[in-house]
Amino acid sequence: MSSLTVVRHSLTVRLTHWTIALSGILLLFSGFGQMPMYKRYNVVKIPGLGWSDQYDITLMLHYFGAIFFCAAVIFHIVYHIRRKEYAIMPKTGDIGVSITGFKAMFGMAEEPLHAKFQAKQRVIYAIIGAVCLILVGTGVIKSYKNLGDIILQPMFLEAMTMLHTAFGMLFMALFIAHVAALTLKDHRPLVPSMFTGNIDRKYAEEHLPEWKID
Amino acid sequence: MKITRRTFLAGAGAAAATVAAPLKPAQAAISENSYATLIDLTLCDGCKDLSQPACVDSCRQGNADKFPKPDPKHIRDYWPQKKHEDWSKKKHLTNRLTPYNWIFVDTLEVEGRTLSVPRRCMHCDNPACVKLCPFGINHKTPEGPVWIDPNLCFGGAKCRTVCPWSVPQRQAGVGVYTLWESFMPVGGGVMYKCDLCRKRLARGDNPHCVDSCPKKAMLIGKRKEIFAEAEKRAAATGGHLYGMEENGGTSTIYVSPVPFEAIDKAILARAEKIKAKAPKGKKLPKPMRMHKPENMLAKQTEWAAASVIAPALGALAAFVATTKKEEK
Repeated sequence: MSSLTVVRHSLTVRLTHWTIALSGILLLFSGFGQMPMYKRYNVVKIPGLGWSDQYDITLMLHYFGAIFFCAAVIFHIVYHIRRKEYAIMPKTGDIGVSITGFKAMFGMAEEPLHAKFQAKQRVIYAIIGAVCLILVGTGVIKSYKNLGDIILQPMFLEAMTMLHTAFGMLFMALFIAHVAALTLKDHRPLVPSMFTGNIDRKYAEEHLPEWKID
Repeated sequence: MKITRRTFLAGAGAAAATVAAPLKPAQAAISENSYATLIDLTLCDGCKDLSQPACVDSCRQGNADKFPKPDPKHIRDYWPQKKHEDWSKKKHLTNRLTPYNWIFVDTLEVEGRTLSVPRRCMHCDNPACVKLCPFGINHKTPEGPVWIDPNLCFGGAKCRTVCPWSVPQRQAGVGVYTLWESFMPVGGGVMYKCDLCRKRLARGDNPHCVDSCPKKAMLIGKRKEIFAEAEKRAAATGGHLYGMEENGGTSTIYVSPVPFEAIDKAILARAEKIKAKAPKGKKLPKPMRMHKPENMLAKQTEWAAASVIAPALGALAAFVATTKKEEK
């Protein structure tokens, strides 16, 4: 008799996901703290956050978060390339199917049939992945110049800093959209797999029929 | 790719080398040929015969076109705070740094002497104001000057907070934030400070303050030569040096006949006196000290290094994880 659930995410995948998610939250909080915001907008007056306008503290938190975030993002890429696991990479025609999928989220179309990942998940993955890579790249450059009397070309540093700040905002927007999407009824059955690794077999067979379940 | 012991060791070795390389002490990138300035307090008398020091006067005249010209309708409180920084009606002030006054001469009684101490941006070697600007519009040039781009500065004033001497000064109602200020309360103006007359330097001219000093108390030159000259003068007079080590090193070196600890003490004592006389609760400007601040970025170099090598660590971990799998 087959199990009532199927394994969708391995422990490694879940650990990587949560490392990126939790360090991402820390990076967003500390990153906004690196902008002169928390004092002006009275975040410092929130009990327990009186320290939040101290740039040396938020900078250290940002480094701390960056260590986990950068390591996890690169781990994810190298790990799956070496295992030749590309199920989440966008495929030809994904954008068209995604548009139908987005319409379905709001009851305006029938949800298309999917493999292990939905077409729109693959597209969003590519977008979030690209944003993460830009944040890692620009962040490493920004950290590097803090190692000592290192002077980068001013215009290059300005471009890297602006990119980092702008993509940090974009990351926040995508992060919120990602979490918001999980609250939709059709997506809720996918949520447990990020904790236990498993999803309901019946849901998988109905909604992800093109997934060749082992 | 087939994983063999050889390819695993090669990959692990390459990743380890990537990890280890940045752990070497960071190379000082301040060129010996960059500009530095020397301010000799044994020579400066604060231009006591003039209405105001020549360096201050020439800086104000020479940089007048760079001073802020705020639109009064844009000078508003920084919501939700009930305050803003507007110096446009206090342009005349010459006894402190303001957006309209980028150098001042502090007069102090120290160890029985009257000292005149010109104060302006130190143009640090590892400036936190530059490296922590969230928009990267505060620049440290390889030639030495630190300058803020007034066309892109939001006036968040973080640079002032992280500067040990609180040098940059904010003017409201000017700059890029005025484009959205009426519907989005983000930004507060533009930060202003000495840029070491970088455009004059590029033309081969000296900064206004250096050229105008009647006592030749200020010198500018190549870093190596200025440092050597400062050490020579200090050795010859039994004087003291400031600026070579402070905040991780700067491009502005003071030579003084009295210890800088004594100067700093005098600055603090005067600030205390002013505070005692001021009405209770009145916010007073922070005194511009001559202390020995540690560089804020240098305190966290290990954390910065760890974040730089983190991607290599991630790659190494993935390599190890997938290799174990193959071996199994």
